[in-house]
Amino acid sequence: MASLAAAQVQEVRSITRIERIGAHSHIRGLGLDDALEPRAISQGMVGQKMARKAAGVILQMIREGKIAGRAVLLAGQPGTGKTAIAMGLAQALGPDTPFTSMAGSEIYSLEMSKTEALTQAIRKSIGIRIKEESEIIEGEVVEVVVERAAGGGGARSGRLTLKTTDMETNYDMGTKMIDSLLKEKVQAGDVITIDKATGKINKLGRSFARARDYDATGQQARFVQCPEGELQKRKEVVHTVTLHEVDVINSRTHGFLALFSGDTGEIKSEIREQINSKVAEWREEGKAEMIPGVLFIDEAHMLDIECFSFLNRALESETAPVVIMATNRGITRIRGTNYKSPHGIPLDLLDRMIIVPTTPYSHQELREILNIRCEEEDCQMSADALTVLTRVATETSLRYAIQLITTASLVAKRRKATEVSMEDVKKVYSLFLDEHRSEQFLKEYQDEFMFNDGSGDASQLMEVSQ
Amino acid sequence: MDDQAKILKYLISVEKLAEEILNDKREIIMLDKRRNHNREALRDLSKSSQSKCWVTIGSVLVKHNVEGTKVLLEADQTQLNIDINKLRSNLKVKVNKLRDLEMQPPVPGLMLVPITNKESEGLSRAGLFSR
Repeated sequence: MASLAAAQVQEVRSITRIERIGAHSHIRGLGLDDALEPRAISQGMVGQKMARKAAGVILQMIREGKIAGRAVLLAGQPGTGKTAIAMGLAQALGPDTPFTSMAGSEIYSLEMSKTEALTQAIRKSIGIRIKEESEIIEGEVVEVVVERAAGGGGARSGRLTLKTTDMETNYDMGTKMIDSLLKEKVQAGDVITIDKATGKINKLGRSFARARDYDATGQQARFVQCPEGELQKRKEVVHTVTLHEVDVINSRTHGFLALFSGDTGEIKSEIREQINSKVAEWREEGKAEMIPGVLFIDEAHMLDIECFSFLNRALESETAPVVIMATNRGITRIRGTNYKSPHGIPLDLLDRMIIVPTTPYSHQELREILNIRCEEEDCQMSADALTVLTRVATETSLRYAIQLITTASLVAKRRKATEVSMEDVKKVYSLFLDEHRSEQFLKEYQDEFMFNDGSGDASQLMEVSQ
Repeated sequence: MDDQAKILKYLISVEKLAEEILNDKREIIMLDKRRNHNREALRDLSKSSQSKCWVTIGSVLVKHNVEGTKVLLEADQTQLNIDINKLRSNLKVKVNKLRDLEMQPPVPGLMLVPITNKESEGLSRAGLFSR
């Protein structure tokens, strides 16, 4: 009984973990119709039609495998939906295409060099598809008969009767098969598979027809349909693995446990070369297919000149993923140099890129986004409160307005209202400062803060925000 | 009128292919049934101590010597295996063709050559194939 309760508690916990709401959790795709034309409001996407259309074209190119080894740059002001478009692209690509998302600053880690971090990210974004094939016998057990020689010990013989919905047959078994059947505790009514090559027995569950055999069953009892069709089947399973995963399990110093702990460290280049040649061999024999995926680097201006030149070279490689970068910078210094360049990205790399601009949202679009966020955050908002919030979004920033949704709904809940009213929004607006008002406040009272150098040029400090 | 004829032609081609696929599946089941019966018979023959046995050919019962029957059954088994494998490989091509006709993308990785047992064992032991 106690264990049951514990299991329930765990279940509740895991559900709450899934339902956490992120900044872009309302994005379900790019919101395009079949002709790749953007719909005004769809799949959590609002406005930004040109950029979404461009992303749709890129999506089609990725699906056809035509874009590998090129890069895309999403450029636009803060809060214009760059990350949202990348997320939408990832959603639209589906679960089979590898999509890696990283922030530019992630490469500055102490555990590995910058190029190693980038190489791992690139190899995480390239999938290979391989197929496992096995001949199996799959059926519901009708009867297991084991005959022992009198006096115990000695040779045993047995018979196993299996059926599907279409046929029934029996197999004579030797001692080894009997042993493994006994070990798996196979009995009449179980649905099992037997691997023909290895003789391994796998219990899939109990047949539905036998569900009423016992009044009390353990909680791990699983009921399955009686298999259909032929008894001896050919089972083909297609697996998609990323090159990085193959790297890690073959890296002798780490082993596969590193995959789960995430603590992979540096991987030797010899191992990568070996795996590359093995994969090339598989491809030649028709055993593997390459799936170039997508590597998304947010805040790409945080990369430095070394990374850019490395990427430049990596994009040339035959098996490069599509690299999508996002930046909110204008003409700025390239990290690691004294030169200035558009978007903080060297001109030679910029030349290889398809640049997709995003533009600031209009008043109406902001209102729609806030409306979608209200739904996502499960918050009833009155029309005039939404109008006020939209005003706030136009005057300060969209992110700040989105912050106010949940806070306002909490205030409304405290006064036991079902709907967030204008007053609630106004209250949280006065409770929480936006960036601009915070700056004003600091300017006014800077003498009273510690370590004040008196210059009062707060905007310099604020450059990194957003 | 022209459109209607075109649609009818398209539907016929789709239905024909789909029917073929279903037939092939039924055929595989039938062949496997026979394969299993043959296997049981071979097993019983090897256990029996008699020198002759009854064989049904169509609706006729024939008494035949055991050795000859075994040869016949074994030949039948190999032929059955070949037929089943042939049907299975053709089935893949047909399924992809049908999906193509229905404007669906082909099944990913359907035409891949499977990796060897040893390779798949190594990879699955490393936990790469999540089940």
